[in-house]
Amino acid sequence: MKSKYWREGEPFVWGSGAALALILLLILTLLVVIFKNGLGVFWVSPLSHLEMQDGSKLMGEVVQSSVMSMRDEPRSQLKIANRDLYSLDFKWVSDKDIKQVTYPQDAILIERQEYGNFVGFLSSVTLLNQPSLPSGEYATLLAGLDDLKANMPELEAVKSQISDLNYRVESLDHKLAKLRFRGEEQGDDFQQLTMQKELLQTEFQTLVTTLNVLQARLMQNTARFTDASGTMLTIPLSAMVRVYKPNNLSFFAKVSLYLQKTRELFFDEPRESNTEGGLFPAIFGTVLLIIIMAIFSFPLGVIAGVYLREYARDGFMVRLVRIAVNNLAGIPSIVYGIFGLAFFIYGIGSSIDQIFFPAQLPAPTFGTGGILWASLTLGLLTIPVVIVSTEEALGAIPGGLRESSYALGATKFQTLTRILIPLASPGIMTGFILAMARAAGEVAPLMITGVVKLAPSLALDGQYPFFHLNRKFMHLGFHIYDIGFQSPNVEAAKPMVFVTTLLLIGIVIALASTAIFMRNRMKKKFAIAD
Amino acid sequence: MNKKLLKRNKFYDKLAHYVITIGGVAVILSVVAILVLIVRVSLPLFQPPTSEIVDHKITVTEPLAVIGLDDYQENVFTIDQKGVLSVFSLQGQETVPPVDLGINHDAHIIFTSRSRTEYSLLWDDGRLSVVGISFRPVFNAEGTRSIEPQIAMQGEYASLPTGSPLLQSFFATSVDEDAPGTVRVNLHQDNSVSIFRTSISESLFGDVEETDESFVIPAYFETISALALSEDGRQLYAGTGGGTLLHWDISAAPVLEDTVPAFKQPITALGMVFGSQSLAVGTADGSLTTWMGVRDSDQSTTKKLRRIHTLTSHDSPVVAILPSRRDKSLLSWSAKGELHLDHMTSERNLYNFALGSVSLASLNDRGKGLIALTATGVQLLKLHNPHPEVSFKTLFGKVWYENYDSPEYAWQSSSGSDDFEPKFSITPLLFGTIKGTIYAMLFALPLAIFGAVYVSQFAPPHLQQIIKPTVEVMASVPSVVIGFLIALMLAPFIETHLVALILCFLLVPLCFVGFLFLWHYGQRFKAIHEMKSGFEFLLVLPVILGGVLLSYYVSPFVENQFFAGNFTQYMFENIGATYDQRNCIIIAFGLGFCVIPLIFSISEDALSNVPSGLRHASLALGASRWQTAWRVVLPSASPGIFAGSMIGLGRAVGETMIILMATGNTPIMDWSIFNGMRTLSANIAVEIPEAPVDGTLYRVLFLCAVLLFGMTFIVNTGAELIRDRLRKKYAQY
Amino acid sequence: MKNDNRNAIIAIEDSIVQVRDLNLFYGTSQALFNLNFDIPRNKVTALIGPSGCGKSTFIRCINRMNDLVDSVNINGSIQLDQQDIFDKSVDVIDLRRKIGMVFQKSNPFPKSIYENVIYGLRIGGVTEKPVLEEAAEVSLKRSALWDEVKDRLHDSAMGLSGGQMQRLCIARAIAVSPDIILMDEPCSALDPRSTAHIEELIRELNGEYTIIIVTHNMQQASRVSDLTAFLYEGELIEFGKTTDLFTVPVKKATEDYITGRFG
Repeated sequence: MKSKYWREGEPFVWGSGAALALILLLILTLLVVIFKNGLGVFWVSPLSHLEMQDGSKLMGEVVQSSVMSMRDEPRSQLKIANRDLYSLDFKWVSDKDIKQVTYPQDAILIERQEYGNFVGFLSSVTLLNQPSLPSGEYATLLAGLDDLKANMPELEAVKSQISDLNYRVESLDHKLAKLRFRGEEQGDDFQQLTMQKELLQTEFQTLVTTLNVLQARLMQNTARFTDASGTMLTIPLSAMVRVYKPNNLSFFAKVSLYLQKTRELFFDEPRESNTEGGLFPAIFGTVLLIIIMAIFSFPLGVIAGVYLREYARDGFMVRLVRIAVNNLAGIPSIVYGIFGLAFFIYGIGSSIDQIFFPAQLPAPTFGTGGILWASLTLGLLTIPVVIVSTEEALGAIPGGLRESSYALGATKFQTLTRILIPLASPGIMTGFILAMARAAGEVAPLMITGVVKLAPSLALDGQYPFFHLNRKFMHLGFHIYDIGFQSPNVEAAKPMVFVTTLLLIGIVIALASTAIFMRNRMKKKFAIAD
Repeated sequence: MNKKLLKRNKFYDKLAHYVITIGGVAVILSVVAILVLIVRVSLPLFQPPTSEIVDHKITVTEPLAVIGLDDYQENVFTIDQKGVLSVFSLQGQETVPPVDLGINHDAHIIFTSRSRTEYSLLWDDGRLSVVGISFRPVFNAEGTRSIEPQIAMQGEYASLPTGSPLLQSFFATSVDEDAPGTVRVNLHQDNSVSIFRTSISESLFGDVEETDESFVIPAYFETISALALSEDGRQLYAGTGGGTLLHWDISAAPVLEDTVPAFKQPITALGMVFGSQSLAVGTADGSLTTWMGVRDSDQSTTKKLRRIHTLTSHDSPVVAILPSRRDKSLLSWSAKGELHLDHMTSERNLYNFALGSVSLASLNDRGKGLIALTATGVQLLKLHNPHPEVSFKTLFGKVWYENYDSPEYAWQSSSGSDDFEPKFSITPLLFGTIKGTIYAMLFALPLAIFGAVYVSQFAPPHLQQIIKPTVEVMASVPSVVIGFLIALMLAPFIETHLVALILCFLLVPLCFVGFLFLWHYGQRFKAIHEMKSGFEFLLVLPVILGGVLLSYYVSPFVENQFFAGNFTQYMFENIGATYDQRNCIIIAFGLGFCVIPLIFSISEDALSNVPSGLRHASLALGASRWQTAWRVVLPSASPGIFAGSMIGLGRAVGETMIILMATGNTPIMDWSIFNGMRTLSANIAVEIPEAPVDGTLYRVLFLCAVLLFGMTFIVNTGAELIRDRLRKKYAQY
Repeated sequence: MKNDNRNAIIAIEDSIVQVRDLNLFYGTSQALFNLNFDIPRNKVTALIGPSGCGKSTFIRCINRMNDLVDSVNINGSIQLDQQDIFDKSVDVIDLRRKIGMVFQKSNPFPKSIYENVIYGLRIGGVTEKPVLEEAAEVSLKRSALWDEVKDRLHDSAMGLSGGQMQRLCIARAIAVSPDIILMDEPCSALDPRSTAHIEELIRELNGEYTIIIVTHNMQQASRVSDLTAFLYEGELIEFGKTTDLFTVPVKKATEDYITGRFG
């Protein structure tokens, strides 16, 4: 009985079932970890006020309670914030040292431009041109912040004027350098440009003065706070991003805060060396990167796929080429990166600099990493994906359709555009989407070809000539690497890493699922047509 | 029929034909181009050095004591034996008026030595002059560059009041900011050596105080034929006519550290290799070797001189050895006028010129120009050897580097100092690549293949249609995400729960087997017996989870009971194994997760493409579902599964971000699963931002890329050929 | 025995296609040997023979579909209206517009019925809507499909039945008004009812178009054709009036084949 059971191999079936179960378990764990941590970041959690056995007081959110393990005592990790006061954001507290835990209603949390969050209690508000409101200090603070917000456009306008001027001065400098390079320093043009530059510089000075006055005025609106242990701290209102009382929020207020923060994530600039604030430049960079990549790689990939399937004569050569394409798909991305560096940046880029921008040398214009070169490198990397799926899609079309089209007197090109491409389009689209998913997630080659942790300006903006393909850019994937591994305070950066990860994996999985769904549907369609 | 239109159609067709053909061929060529380009960048590493003779009009009339060439190879300077310093352009014009360095116009220079940019000239009346000669570019108002000599008299030392007359004299300045000072070492005719040291100390109040010390090393019983002083003036080496190498530490009172009677020949020349860590020794039979202090055992603190590198021999006694001031190259010439340039680390003989007779020679500081005074006059050579430190042996073999106790495979591309000996061994990187890949495949292969077998053979079709796409979607999870999760979440977790992990490997299979037995005996019950098959994996899931949780809860107890409460500590004390937080276990998980979907998906395709006729035939013969899968389906699909595994392997070999994030990136060679490593791909990512274009590091990194390309090329081509054959084989069904 | 096929040329007053000394090679293996015969205008000519005898290969020579196969080499000539179709000056696109073709497996394009019919006109550059609509209606009526599809012209052609699809393919071929229609076993994938439909259609078209039909069904050949050619192993064994060939075959091989001794 037993020997039959073993001979029939039933246990091995269970064993292979276990292998599958493990794979699914891994996938599930990955998704659960990312979604749980990523989605929870923006949800307001209560502030615990701890009174310790030794009389000291702490306040912060409990981030995690310790793992059950026999050698450690139970302990909790508290995010005590106030980096400017304690220099540490987190603190482990042994549970047995805690005397009492309370959740004070008036505990206040301030998201700041610098030094991370502040956690404490409000004591007083000083507003320059506004009296304290009778309804209390907190209301006064909120009113002051509203007022500040109303003033912000003015400030922003000045700032954008300044950056505009900066750009103009810079481009004048380029022109001057070009003239100097040609040796036309005595020419009228040169004089005129110098005058223009001086004019701009005076304008610049006035604007800076205005800005300073504005900022100084804003700095005078301040509020005083105490932390859990009673230390006083004065924070200018202009340094505050958001103020709320986490222990005194209704469910709807929490939802609204959650949505606000999500909005900030998508549309705002990062703060605090990328560990807080929004992801807008990174999202923008990623999308632009994919678009430029698509412009280069999709047409070429489709052409190559069409060539292989419809034009090339079948034989040794085509077999060789197929192997080459499959190899291309298997080359490690870092090799593409180093190729991009040598070929695009040091090869083509440097030549462009020498021919078109000799005046700026030795400062490189195109001879350094930039979004164009990174896109081209990614384009090369994704071409095989497009080629293979184009070929597969064309190959799946029954040969009879081609024959009947030719028999009706259609040229090859007509057959291609009227019959084959429309039929293959779902398959080709699948290839496009898979290529985009791959490009969105690839980081290693970008690190060599121009991704940066903080790009000062976007590659597409309102300044002539609008597209600045030589500029460096930010990328979601690199953002994860950067803030997770290069930032000075990894623990404090974790929530942001998780949010970025969730966003990236969301994009990639959505793309890949669409592609695979389309592919499977196409397979079925042709399976019936056969 | 519209003729014009037909013509236009045909024109478009032709045009499209050309465009598509050109486009297609271009894409294909680009594959080749990638390979060609990265090979081309790395190729100069292996190109032999070249040189060209530079024409010039410099003639020398007086006998010379020193000859030299500036970095720009535009000026030649000479000091004749009467002490007149002249600077010539290559056209033979004197660019600055000659400077007379002597005081006593009757005196002649009898010996010269060099330390950094300082030349010390020993006069026959016993005086020593130290003169600094350097060149720097100057731009005039028009922006044209000219090279201006900088001549500075560093010091003038009177002849010694007592003692036997001098033969040789060396001078060195300390570069140690805490102990500034100068050292002068003299070799006397009576074979004794005298040392004069001036130390400059600054008191707290800023008073500068000079203290002078002098020592005499009594005459050694063999004639001292050559001396060498380290650039910091702390180590003194001597070679004797009897073939003995002597080493004194003269940082304080001279201490004879080493006496090495290793040569059967008289030592004829000594020279410090750039950086003053190694000593080059030339002998009367023309042999050229380098020596270095090495600890003879791990415990000892003293270092003994040992021969490290043997360079190409000369045909006659070595006359002089001069170090390059750029790298570890050595310029040496023999009595018969053979001039060699050798690189110490790579032991490569870069140049071998037969110049008849050489009286003086010098390399410029950049090592790209060589000047020699021969019987026929001044010879000027332009050298092109950008990568002297690279040879096949330094890339792949064990090399004995400075400060190492034995030959090693080492990768260390840069350091803070100029005189650093770069270590470009690719072997530890290859090792790391292979190690990471092996562990990852050990984890991924069984899971992926058996998972695929289950899905394609045993799972009901509607489950297949859910599971397969799910796993396929996972293939697109960016590696940076996996890297982040395993490095920042998994690694710290495993570090604290290592015992639990190890227990898992024991308890999970145990739980599984226990469950199987229970299940087997449960067959008697109708409810269990009649359960639909195909959902086994769902039943197993809680069993595995149970095993994991059990290990988790039991581990603290086990750790306290058997491993003194701390397993990693216990492991270190008892086996000597260290535990890195970012280690191969983590990598196996990460890389495994990355390749499982790939292998799974290709294997599943291969398995489900096996014609169902085969399966049905086997089942009809009464084989069980496992027997059918194992004996019929799996063998038929094995080429496909193999191809999938190869493609997974190729991916694991080239994966960068996971390795970069989840290992310590230390290039060590250790099979321990508890240590990290550095792979070829991560090495490129780590080092390329720092690599100067076209430098040795840059090219070596491209060589790494070529190797990676090669490895994945072989793996992928193999896989593709197998798949191609498989396709043909099943085309007939 | 590579016998002389000259005797296969029977007197045809008005021939449209003249095949002379046609040899065809797939790489090194020869598939057609020295074919010589004339095909009459506006009649139905059937090609019969066991599978692999070269029937399909031959008719694919007439509209040069074999050009699409790399390894094919042809010598000899096929004259269409006194013009050798293998001549360099002949444009293959023009040629195919003059010669329609219906394949063994019906293969309508995955477009609407209407678009299928006018595909040939569209790629020929006809854009006027009334012209296209009229052509579609005429062709569909000719191919006896109009009544069945007139209310769903813009539905996908993939929704038609097998027989309807094949008739649609015939309509598609007729729409460009070809001189010749080649049919490569048009009924082999159809049920008997649909086959009857197609055969009826062929009889209706007889007299208006030159139709060359390949079939391995001798009954079908005898039902629809005026002349029949019997091919065996790449050679033309016998060619003559259908009634003659099926009643009094000259050659032994023909007799063996039609009486079912082989094939």
